[in-house]
Amino acid sequence: MHDSRPTREIAAAVAYDAVAVRYPYCDRPAVGPVDLALCRGERVLLLGPSGSGKSSLLLAATGLIPRSIPGEVSGAIRLGGMPVESRVPADWSRHVAFAFQDADLTLCGMRVEDEIAFAVESRGLPEPEVAACVSAAMQRIGIPDAWRHRRTATLSGGEKQLVALAAVMAQEGALLLVDEPTAHLAPQAADQLHRLLLQRDPEQAILLVDHRLDGLIAAIDRVVMLDGAGQVLAEGLPHALFRDQHRALSERGIWSPIASHLDAALIAAGVVLDAPPLTLDEIFASLPTQARPIVSAFVAERIVAPTHANARPLVRLESADCAPFLGPTVLRNVSLEIGAGEILGILGPNGAGKSTLGACLAGVLRLKAGRRSGPIGGIAFQKPETQFTEGSVLEEVMAAIRDRGKATEILARWGLSHVSRTHPYQLSQGQKRRLALAVLTATGHWPLLVLDEPLAGLDANGAAAVERDIERLCRDGRAVALITHDMDFALKVCPRAIVVGDGGILADGPTPLLLRDEALLARAGLRPPAIAPAMHWLERVTAC
Amino acid sequence: MLTTIHPLVKLALCLIWLAACLAVFDLRLQIATILIAATALVLLDRISPFLVLSLMLPFVLFGFGFLTTNLACHQEADFARHIAEHALFAAPEWSVGLTLFLRTIAIGLLSALFVLTTDPGRFVRALMAHARLSPQIGYALFSVLQLVPELAAEARQIRLAHAMKRGRPPRRWIGPIETARLLIPVLAFAIRRAGRAAIALEARGLGSSGKRTVINVPEIRRRDFVFSAATIALLALLLAVVLTPT
Repeated sequence: MHDSRPTREIAAAVAYDAVAVRYPYCDRPAVGPVDLALCRGERVLLLGPSGSGKSSLLLAATGLIPRSIPGEVSGAIRLGGMPVESRVPADWSRHVAFAFQDADLTLCGMRVEDEIAFAVESRGLPEPEVAACVSAAMQRIGIPDAWRHRRTATLSGGEKQLVALAAVMAQEGALLLVDEPTAHLAPQAADQLHRLLLQRDPEQAILLVDHRLDGLIAAIDRVVMLDGAGQVLAEGLPHALFRDQHRALSERGIWSPIASHLDAALIAAGVVLDAPPLTLDEIFASLPTQARPIVSAFVAERIVAPTHANARPLVRLESADCAPFLGPTVLRNVSLEIGAGEILGILGPNGAGKSTLGACLAGVLRLKAGRRSGPIGGIAFQKPETQFTEGSVLEEVMAAIRDRGKATEILARWGLSHVSRTHPYQLSQGQKRRLALAVLTATGHWPLLVLDEPLAGLDANGAAAVERDIERLCRDGRAVALITHDMDFALKVCPRAIVVGDGGILADGPTPLLLRDEALLARAGLRPPAIAPAMHWLERVTAC
Repeated sequence: MLTTIHPLVKLALCLIWLAACLAVFDLRLQIATILIAATALVLLDRISPFLVLSLMLPFVLFGFGFLTTNLACHQEADFARHIAEHALFAAPEWSVGLTLFLRTIAIGLLSALFVLTTDPGRFVRALMAHARLSPQIGYALFSVLQLVPELAAEARQIRLAHAMKRGRPPRRWIGPIETARLLIPVLAFAIRRAGRAAIALEARGLGSSGKRTVINVPEIRRRDFVFSAATIALLALLLAVVLTPT
């Protein structure tokens, strides 16, 4: 029997007491044991490398694990002082709102108004009160009234995420659990979501998992960091924690704000700022101009060196009209070429047609008009599972080259030997991406590779591995087209980029130049890279 | 216009008309049904005639066997005669095969009339409010509506991946071998997706104890009574014509 009475002291919005989650057939817990408590109004960021069990901890909060997802939860979880087992997960929806990574999961295909009302309807409130909650949530998120009767299936990815957020806000829960809401959003949409999500509400505690820290971290009260084994490595105020734990974060592949990397570089060079910074603006508000060489070196490491345009063109699109498979034309009159050994960034907002352009460039989609020349390319799809057809990692590679010895060598080269007998669907997101790349590069079939959002869902170590893989492919003479929402990654890896928007290519040129063109970025719904304030500071200091 | 009619009223009227078509085996009733339903779709609700025709294709193919037997061999199929004999009222002077062919199309058109002029959301909400449909089943239906285009998108993505491995773009029309290769990955996707959707719905309160409010329930209005009366009157008139001995 569980004690279902609230505790006498001021109850935490959620309290984990030595909580560990273990999935069936696993010999060690996915996360825990973890001790963690959130007060009312507190905003806590949960960080950790891929596979550290962050999502499992959120799912256990309302009992979805073990009630709906098989697993074993040990320890005690209390919500508002009540044991989580005292109610079924659906009943906790009156107190706890859950925002999932994928808006398509939160929404179930109704009209916008009905989606936002869904959780409020569960409370059995009279219809006028439900309508008032819906209107308030729409107003808070800034959803226009004209959307009320639109089917959610007709909304873009960013719009769906806003409706999902409004649906979560309408619940008015004392606790909001948020699991990587910006993973698939373009920078501007991600910024808007962060801004809306973190509007201060003294009654609502927020436990948030997200990798995109720049633009978010300044609104966070406390950071809790998990290690690879799913145990709390450190926790504390963001300013101090990112300075004190910088090395531990880097070693474990946990994302940090760019300001903490520059802070570490400055400290290594003997420049210690009085207050640990969270944003580059905080650094440059007080940084002496003598630190210019350190900042210059820091920026240089994050901007790709220009390459000479002497590579022979490998694939060329001429006046191409591009359309998704069995869909209408989304891009018109596209002329583009990519050379052997070149890395081309394809940038643009959600729904601009970047993936369609990538598939047309690879020759996997027929053009509606225009001409393509060059060999067929390979695509590493946004969802790597799409291209897996075999029962194990080794078989997946052998399907491409039919030679067990060579397949084993390839797996060793890509760091996948230890999972060679595992089913591809059971790999971590980072391992799935590496397997997809290993299969694509196992033969010489594809001199052009299109990588569609290769960083989505990866931790910093995974992203660094993908970066090394791309450089290796480039050295091998392959052309790489990189579709990404991460402007800093594009700036670091792609000497040249195109910006897609308004049904065509808005710009084609060196990535550093494009990403400094604020008018272009605004038109395309993109955000300058996080490193931009450092570039501006260097320009100002140099001009002085 | 038909879109504004209460979904349950419309469903009841469609079922009544459908029952009449099944019970009265008369060529004239089937032709009248086809003309009335097609006119209502195209003129009253501005549905594209091409869409209506394309939706009728499977029904035409289904009924075509009876028609070809009738036209080519000048004799009725045993199965057709058997169906005609079991109708409440049958007019023997008309070809059984031809009547059966047109009845198939009439049934198809009545179904299309309901589906094309009914918002699924309003329909499910009306069922939950008036027909005691469990919210778990109602929202599962919504999720299925959402899932269908996602399954199609997933299948297209997998076809692209297969096409890439083959080294040529996918064909527009999918063949039986490719369909078989798609089956298991799409099924696996559907199972994973459905599981995650169920968890999301539960997290949003589906299945919680206590009464659930259902908002935006369609109300039965005066126009529904008028429409019902007009429809029943028209059907009665038609039945009177076809059932009156000449």
